[in-house]
Amino acid sequence: MSLHSWFIALGNSSLGHAMQTSKWDFALVEMLHLLALALLGGSVLVVDLRLLGVILKGESARLIGRDLSRMLIGSLIVMIVTGIALLSEEAGKCYFSPAFRWKMALLAAAVLFYFTVHRVALLRSDNGGPTLWSRTTALISLSLWLGVGVAGRAIGLL
Amino acid sequence: MPLLQHLCQLLNDSSFGTMIRESDYAYSVIESVHVLAITLVVGTIAVLDLRMLGLVLRPIAVTRVARAVFPLTWSGFAISFISGFLLFWAESAKMYTNPSFRMKLILLALVGLNPLIFHTTIYRRVHEWESQHVTPWRARTAAIASLTLWGGIVIAGRAIAYF
Repeated sequence: MSLHSWFIALGNSSLGHAMQTSKWDFALVEMLHLLALALLGGSVLVVDLRLLGVILKGESARLIGRDLSRMLIGSLIVMIVTGIALLSEEAGKCYFSPAFRWKMALLAAAVLFYFTVHRVALLRSDNGGPTLWSRTTALISLSLWLGVGVAGRAIGLL
Repeated sequence: MPLLQHLCQLLNDSSFGTMIRESDYAYSVIESVHVLAITLVVGTIAVLDLRMLGLVLRPIAVTRVARAVFPLTWSGFAISFISGFLLFWAESAKMYTNPSFRMKLILLALVGLNPLIFHTTIYRRVHEWESQHVTPWRARTAAIASLTLWGGIVIAGRAIAYF
C-alpha cells in the first residue's frame, strides 16, 4: 500500500468519520493537542536555555535533561496520538499540503536530533558552563521545535 | 445596551479594530504569536508546578527553579496579554457575548489570585522547605490549582472559536 492510500484509509476510518462529523470531538482533541504543546514547549525551552547558559547555570544539565525529557516524551506521545486524530479529519488533503509535509519533516529532524546530538550535549555539559558546542546544539534544537510549531500553524492557513 | 457592551461595540467598529479583522494576515499572525506566548507561560509555569509536586528536578531548590522560570513566564504573559488584547479589539462585539471568552477571563482572574494567596502564606516560609523533594501540602495544592487553571485557560481559549 502506498503512503497516500494509508492517508485515505485514515480519512475513511471511523476515527476520521467522528472527527469530520462532530464539531466537539474535533475541538476536544484540538484542546488536548494544545495542552500537550504547552508542556512540550516549556520542557524544550528550559533544557535549551540551560544548554545556552541562560538559566540554572550551576545545576546539572544531565539532571535537567533527564527529568524534563520525561515531560517532553510524555507530551510528545499525547501530541502524536491527538495529531493522528486531527489529521484524520482531512487526511487526504493534508497529504498534499506543503505545510503538513514540512511539519512532518521538521518533526522527524527534531526528534532525531533530540535523541542523538542533543542528548550527548546534555551529558557532556553536566555541571559545566556553556560551550560553543552546547550553545549551537541548543539553538538548532530550539529552531527545529519552533519550526514544527510554525509549520503546524500554517496547515490551517495555507 | 449596557455600557460595557457599548464600549465593546465602539472598539469593534474603530478603524484599528476593523483593520485587524479585515486584513488577510494580521489576525492569523497575531493569533499565532498569542498561541506561542501562551505556550511560553503555561510550559514554564508547569515546570515550576511539577517541581513543587516533586515530579521533576527534585535536587534543585524550588526558589532556584522559580527564579529561572519567572522571567520567561512573565515575558510570555506580557506578549500573550498584548496579542490577546489586539485579538479582542478586532472581535470585541462578538467577544462580549461569547461564553467561552467570559470563562477565560474568570479563569485568568482566579489564576492571578492563586499566587497571591500562595505568596502571602506558605511561600513566606519557603526557605524552610525549598530544598524538600516533595513540598508541604499547601504548596502542592497551589501547584495543582495552577496546572488546572492554566489548563482551563487553554481549553476555554480554544473554545472561543467554537461559539
